[in-house]
Amino acid sequence: MALDQARYASRKRSNTITMALCWSAAALGISVLLIILSTLFAKGFGGLSPSVFTEMTPPPGADGGLANAIVGSLIMTALGVAIGTPVGILAGTYLAEYGRHTKLAMVVRFINDILLSAPSIVMGLFVYTILVAPLGHFSALAGAVSLAVLVIPIVVRTTEDMLMLVPNPLREAASSLGMPRSLVIKRVAYKAARAGILTGVLLAIARISGETAPLLFTALNNQFFSLNLNAPMASLPAVIFQFALSPYADWQRLAWVGALIITFTVLALSVIARWLGSTGQHK
Amino acid sequence: MNMMAPLGTQSLPTKIAIKDLKFFYGDNMALKGITLPLYDRQVTAFIGPSGCGKSTLLRVMNRMYDLYPGQRAEGEVMFEGENILSPDQDLNLLRSRIGMVFQKPTPFPMTIYENIAFGVRLYEKLPKADIDAIVEQALQKAALWNEVKDKLNASGLSLSGGQQQRLCIARTVAIKPDVILFDEPCSALDPISTARIEELIDELRSDYTIAIVTHNMQQAARVSQFTAFMYLGEVIEFGETDNIFTRPKNKRTQDYITGRFG
Repeated sequence: MALDQARYASRKRSNTITMALCWSAAALGISVLLIILSTLFAKGFGGLSPSVFTEMTPPPGADGGLANAIVGSLIMTALGVAIGTPVGILAGTYLAEYGRHTKLAMVVRFINDILLSAPSIVMGLFVYTILVAPLGHFSALAGAVSLAVLVIPIVVRTTEDMLMLVPNPLREAASSLGMPRSLVIKRVAYKAARAGILTGVLLAIARISGETAPLLFTALNNQFFSLNLNAPMASLPAVIFQFALSPYADWQRLAWVGALIITFTVLALSVIARWLGSTGQHK
Repeated sequence: MNMMAPLGTQSLPTKIAIKDLKFFYGDNMALKGITLPLYDRQVTAFIGPSGCGKSTLLRVMNRMYDLYPGQRAEGEVMFEGENILSPDQDLNLLRSRIGMVFQKPTPFPMTIYENIAFGVRLYEKLPKADIDAIVEQALQKAALWNEVKDKLNASGLSLSGGQQQRLCIARTVAIKPDVILFDEPCSALDPISTARIEELIDELRSDYTIAIVTHNMQQAARVSQFTAFMYLGEVIEFGETDNIFTRPKNKRTQDYITGRFG
């Protein structure tokens, strides 16, 4: 069979073009990331000092740090994860194990997908309506609840997906020993899906640690150090929001430092999540 | 391989009696009235082309199909004087008496020791020394002890495919069932591992009633005393393995075992 030179040449040409497009798209994505990281580094790294972690957010013109915001973020993120993770894992377990084929599961799955992509400001308004307005004041607890509402759909989804990846023969093998369903899930399915579920939780933490909108409606902000869950609490994203928009140079500098801290924390969490996910799959 | 004298089937006690068993996947009838005995402490092989219902039949005997909605069985499967298809059958107890070994090795994601001890602890609260002894016995029985005795705390997933399958057999044996169902236990294994599992099945026969589904007719001939040839959801021929393979009564059985169809 004779080779159709013209056809072959055109195929080669289209291959070259497509490949070039793919390369440039990838390069564009990576360069945006690199620009963000390098800018953050250039503007924020100079301001990093021990006082950032020990001193409170200052009034304009004074020296200070981000200690209250960092602690506030840690508390509300931890609380949000503590509330959201059990709910998410249990709901995901229902979807994958007990209700897999039921109508209720289909509905829950659909709603969860909507929640997953709902704008976080809507979540903030929702919690404002059910917690802040009735209680009459902003609070760290309301902030944590709004973060939990963001955590739940992510954890539901990853838990379900990871449990779905556990092969049925493994469940059958456990059942064939006379193991009750609850133990099959607890001791076998969870164990096989552990790395994946943990990855989902880490990704959820990464997601909420940068959320600003829901916190503005719930925890508001606080210029002072506070551990009171029933009072407004500072958080890194809210402080960045406030300081970056301000006209004061020292506030803006602190905002850069805060952005640097958040970004690299999230980056580290994502890397850990990736690593956990890949080790989990090779087993 | 078959060291037993020709068997007078009437003299053998029946362990499981299947009577007019029908099985449905949704509206699709996969078993069309199976009647068959499994004789006590004999190996019964089920052969037949893919989709003939042999695995389905096996999965009825421990009610494994119950895990899935839309699957149901009708008829009678008598075991120890009870119809195991009855709705008030306790499935966990049933499955502790009728164990199963699957096509692909399915070790749990835990240590070799725990893979076996876990099942034992489901039924008995025993001191550690007793569990140690049961684990060792089970591994001995599954001809795996010598290979793993120094690494009982290694993950069950670190073993080779053949070893994993023997671990699964050990796990099943450890909870002392009466019957063991093998669903194509060697189809994912190399010939050497296959030979070891076959030897093992032959040894297990002295204590257990065994049913094995296999696509390998030589394997059926080697390990079983009785063979059922199934086709399209029916048992075409059932009898002593020697007879089925040397003097099949049915034309289709003959065609299948000689490789003319299937």
